Amino acid sequence: MKIAFPHMGKLYIALGTAIEILGGEVVVPPYNNKRTLELGSLNSPEAVCFPYKLVLGNYMEAIENGAEAVLMIDSPGICRLGQYSTSLRTTLTDLGYDVKFINFDLYKGKLKELYIKFKEATGNANPITLIRAINMALLKIKILDDVDRVLAYYRARELKEGDADKRYFRGLGEIEAALGYKEALKAKNNTIKYIKSTPIDKNKEIVTIDLVGEVYVVLDQFSNLDIEKELGRLGVHVNRQINLSDWVQASIMPSVLRFGKTHEEKARSSARSFLKRDVGGDAIESIGDVALAGKHHSADGVVHLLPFTCMPEIVAQNILPNVRCKEDIPVLSLVLDEHMGRAGYITRLEAFVDLLKRRKRVEPKVHSLSTAII
Amino acid sequence: MKIGIPRALSYYDYYPFWHGFFSELGIELVLSDKTTKKLVSAGSSLVVSETCLPVKVYAGHVLNLLDKGIDVIYSPSIQSIAPKIYNCSKLRGLPDLIRNVVNKNFLLIEPTLDKSEPKQGFYQYLYESVAPLGITNKKLIKKASKAGWECMNNFTLMTRSGVDVPTAMRNAINGKISLVSTQKEGMVKVAVISHGYNIYDEQVSMKMFKKLKQLDIEAYTAYNLTTEQMEQGIRNLDTLLYWANEHEMTGAAGYYLKDNNIDGLITLTAFGCGPDSLMIERITRYAKRFNKPLLNLTTDEHTGEAGFVTRIEAFTDMLIRKKRTSIVNSLKKQVPKKEEEKKLVGVE
Repeated sequence: MKIAFPHMGKLYIALGTAIEILGGEVVVPPYNNKRTLELGSLNSPEAVCFPYKLVLGNYMEAIENGAEAVLMIDSPGICRLGQYSTSLRTTLTDLGYDVKFINFDLYKGKLKELYIKFKEATGNANPITLIRAINMALLKIKILDDVDRVLAYYRARELKEGDADKRYFRGLGEIEAALGYKEALKAKNNTIKYIKSTPIDKNKEIVTIDLVGEVYVVLDQFSNLDIEKELGRLGVHVNRQINLSDWVQASIMPSVLRFGKTHEEKARSSARSFLKRDVGGDAIESIGDVALAGKHHSADGVVHLLPFTCMPEIVAQNILPNVRCKEDIPVLSLVLDEHMGRAGYITRLEAFVDLLKRRKRVEPKVHSLSTAII
Repeated sequence: MKIGIPRALSYYDYYPFWHGFFSELGIELVLSDKTTKKLVSAGSSLVVSETCLPVKVYAGHVLNLLDKGIDVIYSPSIQSIAPKIYNCSKLRGLPDLIRNVVNKNFLLIEPTLDKSEPKQGFYQYLYESVAPLGITNKKLIKKASKAGWECMNNFTLMTRSGVDVPTAMRNAINGKISLVSTQKEGMVKVAVISHGYNIYDEQVSMKMFKKLKQLDIEAYTAYNLTTEQMEQGIRNLDTLLYWANEHEMTGAAGYYLKDNNIDGLITLTAFGCGPDSLMIERITRYAKRFNKPLLNLTTDEHTGEAGFVTRIEAFTDMLIRKKRTSIVNSLKKQVPKKEEEKKLVGVE
């Protein structure tokens, strides 16, 4: 059975490997592009959130490419995400597609559900292989996040535009192909080596920006118009606060297997004076991250990304002006949807970065923490 | 002691309860004025433009209360009504939102009802409602909650019998019960599917019920249904309860879609409503399957009344025509038989 799953940043690299190890056949739909969005928005309600449209587009393109089953997760008690699968299923049926829906219903215990559904998807009932597959996926997710962190440093300081990215993509192929632990770790070291060979200007005037917001648009380069690259081009060291590994830890990993505090638990305590209760989604993380960045002076500014009509993030967007005043940190909220124009978007980013640079020259608050990362 | 209750959102669902509950404890409730255009724009100026209309209206009502000189405002956060059945994020974070956007000095009473958490049950919610006012006697609170339920049950009894919500609300507060025994039957029956805070707010729904009455259309809403009927409706649409306020949308729609007495459905959504976007999608797809006429209306603070009325009129015209054709067709089925008989007689 050929299995497909929707995109979310570089999740396909990790999830694809896991299914391959289990002996399943993966159909990776083309990475989110204009056609995906067109197909998706044509068949979805107008006011639904942006990721829904892209996920639907992914499914349709995957089915065109021969997928026979699609994966989806239902995560409890958060936002519209929990209704995605039932709604998508009705839509695909109405469109006349005959496809098997494998739904990770995380309402019912996580560990058991992961085992049952992976077994259903790949036909592999061996729990040891399953554990190996999950471990491999988690390792790859961690590798991707680590590599991204190194890339952010070099991207902001590179001498020739696009140099660091070129080297990064060379390594990414190696990471994607790796199937064993040793291979993957070797690929990681190679990638970091490639990126570190980028010629850089160490004394360049750099501002640090934290990237927070709804996890899907923060991770998906198509919907955020590759914001990290654009900011890097403007000489910004981007610290992405919400990573694939945080998301996996919070929503997929069973709580027994977790080590230490999740990102959400950390953010919750710092958000407390602004948002007392959990409102679902990543709202509490967004607010907590902004409050933390202001308190510790770990960033010059924050860019907050949210998809249009995202319910939890609208609450966050309403509260952020207050956080901005109290913690004295500049915040730029950007709403993303299918009508996003590139030029206007870049102009706003440039204006924001200019403002931060000027502010930094007047009173430098942020200590160069960037060196700590390398 | 006076506390202010904004005439928006949960007011339409729970006000009779609050009235009974707080009156028993000797607390006077002050309501904000009815929604006006000015009030909506005052509320909209506080929050970001993507926020949904009901929340903008709510913020406007809070401002209205503060302008009246009320400095204690009751704003509950209804997190979940049953285990794992959560509300919309904006309603869950409503008090937090108000606290952060309204830059004035006032006491916000923000109790949380979260049935997914073992320690945030109903009595905890009631305790949090009055503890900031200095009432902590749990026996007293329990007794007051009985009075609240009495008032609430009267209200539910009246609405289910067909009394319209504003009248039922007025009667329940005054301790009266009035039931409608015989209803004048309209030409066409339409179910209006929406949240209470949308259809019963005359500014948001633009006096929809009045207009339907003028067109001789009989309107039904979720308030006329029992919970069991609405649960049946959710099953009719092959889904499970997901949102705390799904009963009045999917549930009512599912029930009325299968009800042969109802000629058509009108859904009314406020712009930017998250849960509605997917619920309406499901209702629309199933209306096609069940072959029932459906009109989707979306309103926001800029909606013009003329366009709104035209669409309702066009829809009801269509329903009337459809009904007439079906009656004529059913008559035709009988008529040819008679003609054939005549022909046979003629041949003889």
